Amino acid sequence: MYEKSVTITAQHGIHTRPAALLVKEAKNFQCDVLVECNGKQASAKSLFKLQTLGLHNGVQVRVFAQGEQAKAAVEKVTELLTTLS
Amino acid sequence: MIKGIAVSSGIAFGQALKLQPYDNSLDYRLLPFSKISEEQQNFRDALQELVESLQDAGKNLSRESDNYQLIEADLLLLEDEELIHQIINSIRELQFSASAAVERVFEHQASELESLNDDYLASRADDVRGLGKRLISAINGTLGLDLSKLQNDTILLAQDITPAEFAILPLKRISGIVLQTGGLNSHTAILAKAAGIPALLSCHYQDQKIKNGDSLILDALSGELHVKPDEELQQILEEKYFQEAIRRQNLLAFKDKPVYTTDHHKVTLLANVGNLNEIKHLSDVGADGIGLFRTEFMVMNAKKIPDEQAQYLLYCNALQSLEGNIFTIRTLDIGADKELPSLSLDSEENPALGLRGIRYCLAHPELLRTQLRAVLRASYHGPIRLMFPMVNHVEEIDQIFAMVARCEKELHEEEMLFGEVSYGIVVETPAAVMNLDSMLDRLDFVSIGTNDLTQYAMAADRTNPSLNKDYPSFSPAILKLVKMTIDTAKSNNVRVALCGELASDPQIAPILVGMGLDELSVSLGSMLEIKSAICQCEYKQLKAKAKEILTHNRIESLQASLSENT
Repeated sequence: MYEKSVTITAQHGIHTRPAALLVKEAKNFQCDVLVECNGKQASAKSLFKLQTLGLHNGVQVRVFAQGEQAKAAVEKVTELLTTLS
Repeated sequence: MIKGIAVSSGIAFGQALKLQPYDNSLDYRLLPFSKISEEQQNFRDALQELVESLQDAGKNLSRESDNYQLIEADLLLLEDEELIHQIINSIRELQFSASAAVERVFEHQASELESLNDDYLASRADDVRGLGKRLISAINGTLGLDLSKLQNDTILLAQDITPAEFAILPLKRISGIVLQTGGLNSHTAILAKAAGIPALLSCHYQDQKIKNGDSLILDALSGELHVKPDEELQQILEEKYFQEAIRRQNLLAFKDKPVYTTDHHKVTLLANVGNLNEIKHLSDVGADGIGLFRTEFMVMNAKKIPDEQAQYLLYCNALQSLEGNIFTIRTLDIGADKELPSLSLDSEENPALGLRGIRYCLAHPELLRTQLRAVLRASYHGPIRLMFPMVNHVEEIDQIFAMVARCEKELHEEEMLFGEVSYGIVVETPAAVMNLDSMLDRLDFVSIGTNDLTQYAMAADRTNPSLNKDYPSFSPAILKLVKMTIDTAKSNNVRVALCGELASDPQIAPILVGMGLDELSVSLGSMLEIKSAICQCEYKQLKAKAKEILTHNRIESLQASLSENT
């Protein structure tokens, strides 16, 4: 398993449009990518679930994945979490 | 040929397109086990239909546009395995119908978003509910039309169109509008008129079998809708269309002329507008400014009321386009038929007689405070007149000015710049007419709102088309109320305007001038016609005519006197 923790820096958090972009990117990977935040977990491939995590500005997020391309997937998702706004 | 009430002039040629009302009703019956897989398939089919319609809608949009990105987000939600799984499960395990299962899952998602204490996500919860409703409409087989696929020269036929729905219509592609409901003073009528789109209201087209794509001619000059016209009729109406176009072309000559009667009596002609875009068109018709800026229309489709800063910027923007011309803002006139998604309005038995206009604002002082502060601050940058709707008596004036004083004090303490605002009221209840004397010492102007004044004086619902004909604004009682208002205001040296639809009638407007009004405020679409009508009259004659008009006791003889005049 590969994991990485980041802090959300986007001023308004990861709201719908950036979250939608993130889901699209996550879907390009074979493995499932999980995002954990505020004690809740969601698949990075499910906008439905991701939205309910409360990815606000300043929140700590743990991203982890297992299997094929796990590292690349986690790197991509964490990069998006910290650069999208 | 089908008759209707013509609310804006012109003739439209086009193809019929019927807007089906959405059916969001839920089926709460317990599903028999034998029907489960069939119901799951119904859900999948509806989902597919909605996904395809959204994909189509997205095709014509630029990838960077907000609209496109929001459609993409909707699509991602709809194609979400987790969501589909939960709905399929609800159908199987809870024996829910497809519609009830969709409602359950979407409502759960929406309330979870709301519980996150984030304004943005809370507003997104409404989008999720809206998407759920569209999915339910698809399940019920009424997904309806995608407005983005509308062809040019469409004549839209619908049971009703709310002001909020009107705001999102692609007006460029719509040549005419036909509704089964509504009357002259309904809000849709006012919007159609402002947009210059020929419209027929209270038109019972459903009796005729009109199909989508049928060729139609909407003759709003005569109030007639022709279905599949033959060649002869087509030619006659085309001729009529060109005559009308020439007449309108001639009106353009009045664009840059100030409004004077032939004997040099000056009349101030202002515009009724509902958004910033309309303000940009004031110079197209040479208006002297804005006589009514309906602030509630700006927040009609907004998720929440703009905050002080946003309102301040908006008013500053308007001031800038107006270049010093008259700018009359009406405070939020909410209630009755103008509900807002951004405000929770308790449902009332009788909303037109309920908590609306200034009553609503006084009951929600924060709302009034925000708007007053924004207006006061904006008035530092240019002259603003502010008027309050639905004021009945001096107690309300006391409350309003107490709030004004509080806002000025706050702004002063916060060292914020603000200017001097002129204050007025919309006279639109009989009580306001009777009490006017006691309020005038604190007012700089009054504006008579004849649409509501008529409905309240006659006790005749302005949205009920069967009453429009028998209880018109142009009637002895209403003219007497208008005259009383003018005389009371004049004897106190207060300027008096009229902003109702009455002023938009080219036959009536000159007579109103004769009654002594200083200003008329009309829709942009009627401006040139009113200008040309007034410029051709002599003020001395208008005064005599106004006197004569007030002697009539019957609507019929009033009408007759009007037509012999022209």
